[in-house]
Amino acid sequence: MHSKFECPTCAKASGLPLGQGFSRRGFLKLAGTGLVASYFSDVVDPSILLGSTTTAAVTLQNSARNCIFIFLSGAPSQVDMWDLKEGSWTPADFDPTSYGEVRWPNGLLPKTGSHLQSLSIVRCGLSWVAVHPLGQAWTQLARNPAGATGAIAPHIGAVVALEAQISRTAKDVLPAFLAVNAGPIPGSGYLPARYGPFGFVPLAEGLPTLAHPDGEARFARRWDLIHKLDANRRTGALGKIAADLNDFFDQSKTLMDTPGINTIFKFDDAEHARYGATAFGDSAIVARNLVNARMGVRFVQLTLSGWDHHAYIYDRKTGQSLYTKCGQLDAAFAALLADLGVMPGAAAGKTLLDETLIVVVGEFGRTVGPLNGNNGRDHYLRNSIVFAGGGVRGGRIIGKTDSLGDRALEYQWSAERDVRPEDVTCTIYSALGIDFTTTRHDDPLGTGFDYVPFAKDGVYRPIDELF
Amino acid sequence: MITSLLWSSVALAAGAAPPECPYRGTTFDRQQLWHRLSTNAETVAPTPGAQGRRRAIAPIHNLPVANFIDRYIGAKQQKALCQPTEITGDEEFLRRVTLDLTGEAPDPAAVAAFVADVSANKRERKIDQLLASDGFTDRWTMWFGDLVQNVQFSSNTWLFYNGRNAYYSWIRESFRNDKPYDQMVRELLSASGDSVSGGSANYVARQYAMGPLQDLYDNLASSSGQKFLAMPLLCVSCHNGLGHLESVNTYLRAKSRRDFWQTAAFFSRTEFSWSYFEDPLDPKGVVGIYTIKDNATGRYDLNTIDGNKSPRSPAPGEPDYVLPAFILTGEGPRADETYRVAFARLLTGNRQFARAAVNYLWKEMFGVGLVEPVDAFDLAKLETQPTHPELLEALADEFIAGGYSTRSLLRTIAMSNTYQLSSKYTVGPWNESWVPLYARHYPHRLPAEMVFDAVTRATGVVPAIDVRGLPAVNRAMLLPDPYEPDPRTPIGRFLGQFGRGNRDDVPRTEDGSILQVLAIMNDVIVTTRVQRDNANSTIGKILASTTDPESIADQIYLATLSRRPTAEERQVAVAELRDGPLGDRAEDLQYALLNSLEFLFN
Repeated sequence: MHSKFECPTCAKASGLPLGQGFSRRGFLKLAGTGLVASYFSDVVDPSILLGSTTTAAVTLQNSARNCIFIFLSGAPSQVDMWDLKEGSWTPADFDPTSYGEVRWPNGLLPKTGSHLQSLSIVRCGLSWVAVHPLGQAWTQLARNPAGATGAIAPHIGAVVALEAQISRTAKDVLPAFLAVNAGPIPGSGYLPARYGPFGFVPLAEGLPTLAHPDGEARFARRWDLIHKLDANRRTGALGKIAADLNDFFDQSKTLMDTPGINTIFKFDDAEHARYGATAFGDSAIVARNLVNARMGVRFVQLTLSGWDHHAYIYDRKTGQSLYTKCGQLDAAFAALLADLGVMPGAAAGKTLLDETLIVVVGEFGRTVGPLNGNNGRDHYLRNSIVFAGGGVRGGRIIGKTDSLGDRALEYQWSAERDVRPEDVTCTIYSALGIDFTTTRHDDPLGTGFDYVPFAKDGVYRPIDELF
Repeated sequence: MITSLLWSSVALAAGAAPPECPYRGTTFDRQQLWHRLSTNAETVAPTPGAQGRRRAIAPIHNLPVANFIDRYIGAKQQKALCQPTEITGDEEFLRRVTLDLTGEAPDPAAVAAFVADVSANKRERKIDQLLASDGFTDRWTMWFGDLVQNVQFSSNTWLFYNGRNAYYSWIRESFRNDKPYDQMVRELLSASGDSVSGGSANYVARQYAMGPLQDLYDNLASSSGQKFLAMPLLCVSCHNGLGHLESVNTYLRAKSRRDFWQTAAFFSRTEFSWSYFEDPLDPKGVVGIYTIKDNATGRYDLNTIDGNKSPRSPAPGEPDYVLPAFILTGEGPRADETYRVAFARLLTGNRQFARAAVNYLWKEMFGVGLVEPVDAFDLAKLETQPTHPELLEALADEFIAGGYSTRSLLRTIAMSNTYQLSSKYTVGPWNESWVPLYARHYPHRLPAEMVFDAVTRATGVVPAIDVRGLPAVNRAMLLPDPYEPDPRTPIGRFLGQFGRGNRDDVPRTEDGSILQVLAIMNDVIVTTRVQRDNANSTIGKILASTTDPESIADQIYLATLSRRPTAEERQVAVAELRDGPLGDRAEDLQYALLNSLEFLFN
């Protein structure tokens, strides 16, 4: 693969030898910037420029700057929520209500019900597997995790971070991909670690380690001393891995030096209560703050787990039933939609919701019809996916299932088949202006890495009907 | 610069103008450039008609040979015209080998003694001393615990703390007594009994999967293949190799799902049961206990339609079950042995078992395996997949001949000059493509537990970490699984940020991250420890022993980086110590060293 090395600053061929002894710092000095902005080093990193291929004539929506990916881990019961199917089993306090053609469980998701005009629901989703770890990873990697590229595949968010790298400026001090209260999720795969999820737990006080406990003045002294003493940081004599870690030091220092950075991660009691007084609600507050800050964040994952209702799904007494989980989701999701809907976006006349694609999805669905022998629902491939913001035209239903919610009677999108996790990923990429048919040629297996396997052959595609 | 290298090979008549650089204005193909500069490939003319001669740089010296490892490594270096760097000095060697073999950094007394020792074979004696230490057991127990994923909670199985502890103790005892590695693995593969009494039954218990029994047997087969043969048998558990593995694994491409089932069939007489009982440590809690046994009958039936795998059914005309046959050799059990004993014998007796093991051990010592990824061996590519195929075979031979003793194999590695090369490349400009040639000891980041323990040892402020069901520990290297301490506690978070993984779906990693770096800079775990008023504070003790800044600087370096400062470093350090209250400046100095790249790397 031939790649011409061009200086991204002046678009002129550098003519510099990329041979032995090449050091990023050396290049930066020569390029005259003097900047040691860490974002720059990956633009310079030739592996990023090593090339990728795409297919011709792919249309991208390019309607969103950010994505908030709400993962409902454990697999939510779609026939009680997004694709409400009523029967003898339906508790009265689900309060099924008609909003236009949509039957909505007002008793479970009242606040979200008032935002239906912003939501679009795909009801013909179909997962590939009905086991949690495999399903969860599949949804986040857009491929079979046990397949050949599964072992090296990056999280969808890491791909977004990689693609966003080229447009980062000095203002973008935050990483592009954050995971708030998400637990262990797939990382950057074979991509450089900087694209992996910045994962943390939301705390009212924010991120404590953003500030030095012994004060700014003491830290400034210490930072200087670190660099005066550590010749390896100047010379790169310990090799590339150490140099990469040093880049993280620089990036972290930039964060620490950004005034008010911790405000983004903090929240007060009033907000905490408004978002449902849960850790998930707190995550949603921070996600809102992160996309509002416009400091480089592009993909935020939030996880709300506990949906695996094999037993006692409608039994409030357990404290973990569908009522509880929906209550947690409802408060946070509705507050997030409301807040994003009034906060201004980056472009004039747009709100943050206009610029942020929100996706709500689980790893698969749950059984339909009457409950099982334990008054619960078991794993089922049929599921629903909810979209909002980021150019999505709300108030639409895509896919019509039968009276039980089992088979799809109509697909209502161009592919005329069930919607797969891969299609959801294509939709996210397309909204963010990322070519979902891309194949990268820098993978360690040497076989090419597809952003979405088989998308370039048209097997999977975005659900353009959402936009 | 490249242009000058090329010019120098072209004869210049006196006074003649140099010829036009054939590369001016062309695009560089970076990969070809690396290739040409770093290997002894036959010279290729870059453009038609150009004089593409390259000046060959002969190494000044070759890698001196301490044992067979150096012969193979040196031979490839010579072929690549790659000069190895110098053998490292005593201080770096001591820190490296102590960390690698025992997980700890050497303390100042050990450093001073080693440096002062003038005997010729001091490195050999130090290696032997470390191999015999308790630290060796701790460190390699952690390694093996990672390999078999001993953990109390995972997505498929809950061993609970009691199973986890029994497993941990069994692993510790095995390493303490230098139990041969093949014997360890045979015991794990064939163990019966409950998960608490003996510990070894936990290997089988850990592979439990919900779903049809065949999924369980498949898990055992694919896990054993992955962990102990370092082969991705998982691939053929769902489909044939043909049509799927062409560019993934040539050997397994020729294997079918039926071949995999036949291997899984060795587990088809194994029965899992479990029961819960009240947690002795918590009256409101329950713990579980697995019991593993073998039945006299049982068969791997091809009759599933759901679960974790695609449906199992026989091909037309074939029986609806399979009998055990080992995927690598086709052999089945003998008449006098149970299925699992047969599997244990066949697996550990196969040469690939030895290859897999030595590659793991090599990776622990060098940061990279001779085969990467370490669990993706392609048996049809044994001559091309490893960076040093003959060395891999020689190490396997050595391991087998040494009775599968891990101590013995690690000793051989540590004694080689390859291992003892400097981390600094001082014999010319470094070329990153030489990493797989082992021209230098390429620094890799310390794993999470070693970072934490190095911080606590350097500062003198050692924690007491509670462990469920076991005595409290004062070193992270003694923790039995990644749920101790709880990942949401400060120490658990610190270890998580340094990538210790969860022995389930999150592997251990040495990748960096912002939170990791913020932790070493700003976590109170680090910042409070450098304070001189801590009980047992290293800084406190040093300040009590002297007021001489030179001595203070030396002692802080020795305590933190296990070496003395260079003259330049001492100068900077002393100037800093003199620039303000001595106590504060001494704390700052140790803090700065804890945040040096060198501290986090080995």
